[in-house]
Amino acid sequence: MQHIETIGIPRGLLFHEYGVLWQRFFEELGFRVLVSPQTDRAVFEAGEAASVDEVCLASKAYMGHVAALLDGGQCDALFVPSYDNGDVRAGFCTKYQSLPDLVAATFRDRGVKLVTMRVRSANDRKRTRGEFIELARQLGASPKKAMHAYKAAARAQEAADAARAAAQQETLRLLAKYRKVAAGDPTGTEQAPLAILLVAHPYIAHDPYIAGDIVAAIEGMGATVLFADEADHAAAFKRSFDFSDTLPWLINRQLAGAILQMHEAIDGIVLLSAFPCGPDSMFDDAIMRNVRGVPILNLMIDAQSGSAGMETRIESFIDILRFKGKQGYLDA
Amino acid sequence: MPSLQKAKDVLERLTQPRSEDATVPVTVSDDVRTQVVYEPDEPRRMLPFPHLPKKLRRDRHKHTLVSVFRYAYYDPAFKYFVEQVLDCDYLQLPKATKRTMELGIQSSSDYVCTPFKHMMGDWIEALELGADILVQVGGPCRLGYYGEMQEQILRDMGYDFTMLNFSHGIEQGYIGWGKEVLRMVNPDIAIPNGVKQLLACGHMLTLLDSARDFYMANGGFEREPGAFRRAWEGLMDAMRAAATKAEIDEAYRAGMEEMRAIPLDKPADPVRIGIIGELYTAIDENSNLGLDEKLMDMGVEVHRTLNFSNRYTHYNEENLRRTIAEYAEYDMGPTSTMTLAAAKKYAEMGFDGLVHAKCAGCTPEIDCIPVLRRISEDFHIPVLYLTYDTETSDTGLMTRLEAFYDMLAMKKAAKRW
Repeated sequence: MQHIETIGIPRGLLFHEYGVLWQRFFEELGFRVLVSPQTDRAVFEAGEAASVDEVCLASKAYMGHVAALLDGGQCDALFVPSYDNGDVRAGFCTKYQSLPDLVAATFRDRGVKLVTMRVRSANDRKRTRGEFIELARQLGASPKKAMHAYKAAARAQEAADAARAAAQQETLRLLAKYRKVAAGDPTGTEQAPLAILLVAHPYIAHDPYIAGDIVAAIEGMGATVLFADEADHAAAFKRSFDFSDTLPWLINRQLAGAILQMHEAIDGIVLLSAFPCGPDSMFDDAIMRNVRGVPILNLMIDAQSGSAGMETRIESFIDILRFKGKQGYLDA
Repeated sequence: MPSLQKAKDVLERLTQPRSEDATVPVTVSDDVRTQVVYEPDEPRRMLPFPHLPKKLRRDRHKHTLVSVFRYAYYDPAFKYFVEQVLDCDYLQLPKATKRTMELGIQSSSDYVCTPFKHMMGDWIEALELGADILVQVGGPCRLGYYGEMQEQILRDMGYDFTMLNFSHGIEQGYIGWGKEVLRMVNPDIAIPNGVKQLLACGHMLTLLDSARDFYMANGGFEREPGAFRRAWEGLMDAMRAAATKAEIDEAYRAGMEEMRAIPLDKPADPVRIGIIGELYTAIDENSNLGLDEKLMDMGVEVHRTLNFSNRYTHYNEENLRRTIAEYAEYDMGPTSTMTLAAAKKYAEMGFDGLVHAKCAGCTPEIDCIPVLRRISEDFHIPVLYLTYDTETSDTGLMTRLEAFYDMLAMKKAAKRW
């Protein structure tokens, strides 16, 4: 293997779920890590040009990030892992499984060099640790260093997840408090806060190019946005078995569990999918059929959509929620 | 035989009264005493034991109507599975119509993959025809969630039924599925017989695929139009009627004999096309609009490695992936390895072209396309990419296939000269 100094990580897909772990892992091993910049129009268009036109929006963005890193020319290799469906109840879309080979085939002419590994079942910590240590060994680290690097990385990821979950709990607590204040206001001028749960894959919800407009539109209407993917992953995963026995995807399970957990504390759900997301094509239907008692707005983003149409829909949705909050609808 | 003689002597000595003292009662051993005929005064009474009728074997057959979705030419195997393994009644669905598709479209979410819609149409028709139990398979992609979602949609529509969903019990493999079958469908299945019949069912799948391979490779060159189709239908009917492994073998033997006897007009070097793609659409003639027959009618030798038995009954993903090591390091999805391995094999065998058939939105097969493009470049083999959705028109498909065939035929002719 040619000497590697800098490893590039595309800022797309599972980076938003496991990015802290990946970045820290390679840094601990002594590599320089370069994460591609945030998605913008140029990145997305480069990705679109490199992809087959039928793939999902998030995949096109990912290819754009790969292209951006290759254009930068600073990376000796790119880290593209394959997340497999070893656990049938906590698997991934086959996209993640095929990602290394997909990138290699797409950018073969540009001489892309990959650092890859296969994570057979992401929920199995011991096995995943073994797989990361094996990767470190292949990259020339001693077993001790590899173990140390993985432990530090896993701790960093856990701390980041825990911090986000704690921040979300804090927001929920404050919301509950304000609700009480607003309800007890004798003049009736205090407006109750509006909490919107944004249910989307992390690489949709936290990508400013894809969902930034939508998050801004909701917040611009004075509502608080809660991200379903920021809820405590383990608890949400466990809870999701109340929702479905056979749902095969880990991230969708975390989202479903988060909806069940926060059901009482939210005023509305915005269900956001990138066209044509495979898991979401069924998951959205399941949510719409099964989650009752909370109004849901189901939005589909594709590359062509301007933000104006989305904003109108979000505005009307939030207006309806406000009207409902004032007991405008008798049946509500 | 000295021992026998000895025994006779002993018996004689014991039964004969001793000559020296005939009046003294003779001590007789117990086994001899039992031989003494005792005649009671009254006839002996029957023992106080109830008179039972001859015990019947328990009827293990359950009269519930089980339906499996329509899938290519596999309905004989599904029928065999339901009747012999599950020991229930099988609902044979009639051929799919335009209405089937419309029912499916109406009841599915719009951007779910197309097989979901086809199957929804099948389920609704099956329930209208009185099915009690629907059988859905599980799989490693979206297919694993089909069962639960379809059950929910049908229940929301107001149908009452049982769904045997093989996504349940998948953690325990065959044992889990066995428990699921006993719990949901028929608790009286004789398990050893069920296992035996399941193996026979797998055998039938292999034979069906093998017959189909012969049919596709030669059906385009028949001298008398329609002869192959007739033989194929005969084979399918015989398979549907089979109830044992011997009958399956006999049906296959007779069917193949009939197909082999059909006179052919086959050139030495015909245009050969390999079909690759997704497990449902590339095989199912209802959803790929008769791709096999369309190509065969143009006079093409059609091959398709991808089929049910190659994917399930004898499938070794890792070994298959070794053949495409330069293109794929990992398993890329449910049928991706097969698609790529078949594409490379066909290219190496000097096929004229490949047809990649998939349904709209099939993520694993879409992800195969960039890799297929590399194979196409490296081996200079043309690939026609077909995406089927519920709106795909027959005429549009025909035009594309004809253009593809013309191009391949011209290329072949140019090479020959």
